[in-house]
Amino acid sequence: MLLLAPLAGCSDNSSSLTRLIVTGSTTILPIAEVAAEDFHAAHPEDDVLVSGVGSSAGIENVSSGTSDIGTASRELKDEELNLGLVDTPIAYDAIAVIVNPQNPVTSLTKAQVKAIFQGQIVNWREVGGPDMAIGLVNRDEASGTREAFAKIVLDKERFDPTAVILPGTGQVRSVVAQEPRAIGYISLGFVSDDVSALAIDGVEPSEATVVNGTYPVQRVLHMFTKGAPEGLAKMYLDFVLSADIQESVVRDAGFIPITAKGAYGD
Amino acid sequence: MTDEPRPNEMPTVRGDVSNLKLVSRATYIKEAALKNLFLLCAFMAVAGVALIFLFVGYRGWPIFTEVGLGDFLFGQEWLPTEGLFGILPLFVGSIVVTVGALLLGTPLAVGAAVFLSEIAPPKVRTIVRPAIELLAGVPSVVYGFFGLLILRPVVADLTGGLGFGPLTAWIILAIMIVPTIATLTEDALHSIPEGVREASYAMGATTWQTISRVLLPAAKIGIVDAVILGMGRAIGETMAVLMVVGNAPGFFRGMGAPLSTLTSQIVMDMPYASGMHRTALFGMAIILFLVSMGLVLTVRLLSRLREDVS
Repeated sequence: MLLLAPLAGCSDNSSSLTRLIVTGSTTILPIAEVAAEDFHAAHPEDDVLVSGVGSSAGIENVSSGTSDIGTASRELKDEELNLGLVDTPIAYDAIAVIVNPQNPVTSLTKAQVKAIFQGQIVNWREVGGPDMAIGLVNRDEASGTREAFAKIVLDKERFDPTAVILPGTGQVRSVVAQEPRAIGYISLGFVSDDVSALAIDGVEPSEATVVNGTYPVQRVLHMFTKGAPEGLAKMYLDFVLSADIQESVVRDAGFIPITAKGAYGD
Repeated sequence: MTDEPRPNEMPTVRGDVSNLKLVSRATYIKEAALKNLFLLCAFMAVAGVALIFLFVGYRGWPIFTEVGLGDFLFGQEWLPTEGLFGILPLFVGSIVVTVGALLLGTPLAVGAAVFLSEIAPPKVRTIVRPAIELLAGVPSVVYGFFGLLILRPVVADLTGGLGFGPLTAWIILAIMIVPTIATLTEDALHSIPEGVREASYAMGATTWQTISRVLLPAAKIGIVDAVILGMGRAIGETMAVLMVVGNAPGFFRGMGAPLSTLTSQIVMDMPYASGMHRTALFGMAIILFLVSMGLVLTVRLLSRLREDVS
């Protein structure tokens, strides 16, 4: 990938194949990948390489010039604000708190979720469930979902350090699907029938509750460029924002089109 | 490989120059070129190790000067985002995982080796030995998957947690180190002269007495050798451990509670680490390097000891 980076820099569209390198959030991977394939189909002379390495790595890559676009499922941190990155919001997402379908608990308050993930509530009995130890499943620190969850639910306070840490959304989902005592959090787009998403403060996560702002754990998905997007990067971003991709790919991946609220940005 | 002059005066590369004059110049050049080629091969391995050590050392050194040896090695908290780089819990995690795997795996492997070398009829041996060797060829990510999908739920039921933790890692690693320990132990048993067995049986000893009183003590150093190499495999294993150990960077709290190790933490953090955090990861690599160097040295010393004994 490092070897390809200089090639992407000299995007001389007239001659041979040009490459755009997109790295970052694994949450955004399904959108970025399908969009890349469609983009390549529409512009056979241009190739878009996409890889999921985590939001922080994506931001690191785009600011160091290793990638042309860095994708992130979280906002920039304070120390990342002065890297000269320009934000293009591409979709909305809700983070669902998931439990095993056998678990009778269907709703928690945001404060309860916070206490659970900080290790202050350790038994399902304390939140109206059966007498069963809570099995916390957390994500790794490279995860944008973790970052967003920590910011929205935990007010940036520490997670319980004894929680299991898994390096991918799919792993969190499969463990919660198998273990009745488990609780985890994943992007709404990845919620499937074998886990159940809890209502937070009485509001179920859905497109409607995200758009009307009532579901509390929601975020914006970003694509960052170093400076204003231009050339191939701009073509790709415009393509991602087009109604085609927004209404099909973004929706199919379980996210909510950025156009749903009318305007770009938050 | 004796240095005695051979009767038919066949020149060898190792022979002195007067011998070499007997062959044609082309043969001489070919021999010399081959000699240097093999020297280069050997040198590449040495250079590879030296380069890796220098690179890792260079990248990791600042952790000792800027965070400090004490705070790095004996710090109790690994919270890189808050500037806390204590690797003690991770080091302890590596030790816990490795020792547990050895305790489970060594009896299994030594038992298998004794069976293969002393008990198994040839037909059974031709099936069991390749099976054990095959274990060594299974990619570690496959072990990880096996642990995640098959063992984890079982351990979860046993311990009342989610099944991520040392117990799952012990079982997986124990299976992984069996081929290393079993093959080397079998070699050690094979190197015992047949006469020793015959003498034992002649004294009226049973098979079990021969194995436990004569053969195993005689192969002792070879077995310790095998266990140390197995230990090297276990402490360095990354992927399979990462998938089942739970990766919570705290101290050991029980067989079923999540834990993290040096290797798995390096992999977890590598994608996003920058600055001092990245330096700390290289510092952890230095520690791992030193540990495995210590293990290799121990094995060398033991082999020398074994040569002295025999």
